[in-house]
Amino acid sequence: MKPVTVEKILLEFDPEQGNILPVLKRINAAFGYVSETDAKKMADYFSVSLSHIFELASFYSLIGTKKDSDIVIKICSGTNCTVQGSSCLIAEVEKYFGIKAGDEFNPKVRLEVISCLGRCGEGPIMMVNGRIYTKVTVSGARDILENME
Amino acid sequence: MDNIKIITEHWDKIDPKKIADYVAVGGYETLRKFVCEADPASALQEIKKSGLLGRGGAGFPIGDKLELVASSNKKEKYFICNLDESEPGTYKDREIAKNNPHLLIEGIALASLIIGAKKAFIYLNGNYEEEEEILECALSQSIENGFIGEGILGSEYGLEMEVFQGAGAYICGEETALLNSIEGRRGEPRLRPPYPTDKGLWGHPTAIGNAETVSNFPWIIKNGGAEYSRIGSADSPGTKLYTLGGSVKNTGIFELPTGISIRDLIQKSGGGMMLGKEFWFAQIGGASGRLVLENELEEKLVLKKGAKIPLGSGAVLVVDKTVDIHDMILSWTGFFRRESCGKCVPCREGTFRLFEIAKRMNNGKMSERDKAAVSDILWALENTTFCPFGKFSATAFRDTVEKLNISNS
Repeated sequence: MKPVTVEKILLEFDPEQGNILPVLKRINAAFGYVSETDAKKMADYFSVSLSHIFELASFYSLIGTKKDSDIVIKICSGTNCTVQGSSCLIAEVEKYFGIKAGDEFNPKVRLEVISCLGRCGEGPIMMVNGRIYTKVTVSGARDILENME
Repeated sequence: MDNIKIITEHWDKIDPKKIADYVAVGGYETLRKFVCEADPASALQEIKKSGLLGRGGAGFPIGDKLELVASSNKKEKYFICNLDESEPGTYKDREIAKNNPHLLIEGIALASLIIGAKKAFIYLNGNYEEEEEILECALSQSIENGFIGEGILGSEYGLEMEVFQGAGAYICGEETALLNSIEGRRGEPRLRPPYPTDKGLWGHPTAIGNAETVSNFPWIIKNGGAEYSRIGSADSPGTKLYTLGGSVKNTGIFELPTGISIRDLIQKSGGGMMLGKEFWFAQIGGASGRLVLENELEEKLVLKKGAKIPLGSGAVLVVDKTVDIHDMILSWTGFFRRESCGKCVPCREGTFRLFEIAKRMNNGKMSERDKAAVSDILWALENTTFCPFGKFSATAFRDTVEKLNISNS
């Protein structure tokens, strides 16, 4: 299979304003984030300013603007997950890696507190590199982290 | 009529990926009848007669909204089904899409044809990946079977339908922010007026309806608006999908008439509190909802504007006394800080400051200085923000301070 390039992705879409968000999502899915070079190519293709592309990319939480850490852990802090104890999970992961939730400086690991995913019946929810774990307990979280890769 | 099920009737009985299952239980019959009779005006009258209020949270009469767009003589119109659902604790629309996507598609088709729209969108929450697959599958099946597309069931009606998936922003559930998002802009709310019914998507009249709202359409048009208006409470009739969560025995989605009491919902559907847990308070309507103490549990759940306890999206969260209120406050304020779009200063700064103060709280106690700041911030949020988001972001915090007496303990 030939490697995916930004140009190829762009050619799948018409250069219409309404396609900017779908293209951003495609690029993000293919490369993990939207780089400045890619954003410039998009701006040219859609005939909009680079800042327009960037303000969109930075606005939506499912689109990244820089290369993400190797391990990305996301924990839901929605009200239901909180009642079921997600704040203990956050504390546990922070302790395990020696990091703080929300910090983006560690290239190896990042912990993000996220909003509701609509799986409130199965909380607390923890995501490790895109994989969703449900009804996670503190010891369960430790197990998941220890058995990673 | 207490046990009537309109939306959840066929859940678990039909395969969401097989259109034949839905057709076998009478699905798409209403749409067939609609295109044969070709009388959108009387269908609209039935919707109006039913008194159906929007199920997304604001509770606006959907019939009035459709009428505004239907009466416009502009040629290009749109219908958008709002499935952005990201209110914490709510996942009713997700379950509709997952369990019976064709009911939703039929409802959207009816709504679109009533207003004369040729194109409809389903704005789907960016996190709902499984549901996207199901909806795309259902949509292609309904196109194959002639229910959607050019010349619906051989009639003159035509409708194009598209699933548009968001990219993770709570604010895009607000109508005008949703429009901006589809148009390829930041999902920030627009100034109203002009209302979307007048100048909506790409400047054309647009009606936007919640997924649960439109899922009621096939039943209403089939059985008549008068029949529907007899279900539940008189001022906001119909059934409602309640999302019950927290420290109750049975959590999940329950379809019950409007106007039931909070106590009944918790006791009868939820099976009461979990063993060993003692009721503390309940939050009605998601993270932006009011807190309800033991002595208010007889309050009826209605959608009517100005209700004492607004039902909002239908989420009911039950909190027991073992829960640390500090965690809850951090959850609320953290959520609103993350999701504030940044368009207006009172909301952007207010949610940020509330979160800071929440982090500083020591054993639930605030310093005198913070107390004074909080009352200023809450006032600014409630009175000066651009859209309702800012106003709602203050609700839970204010209730915590006033009802639970946290800061004075």
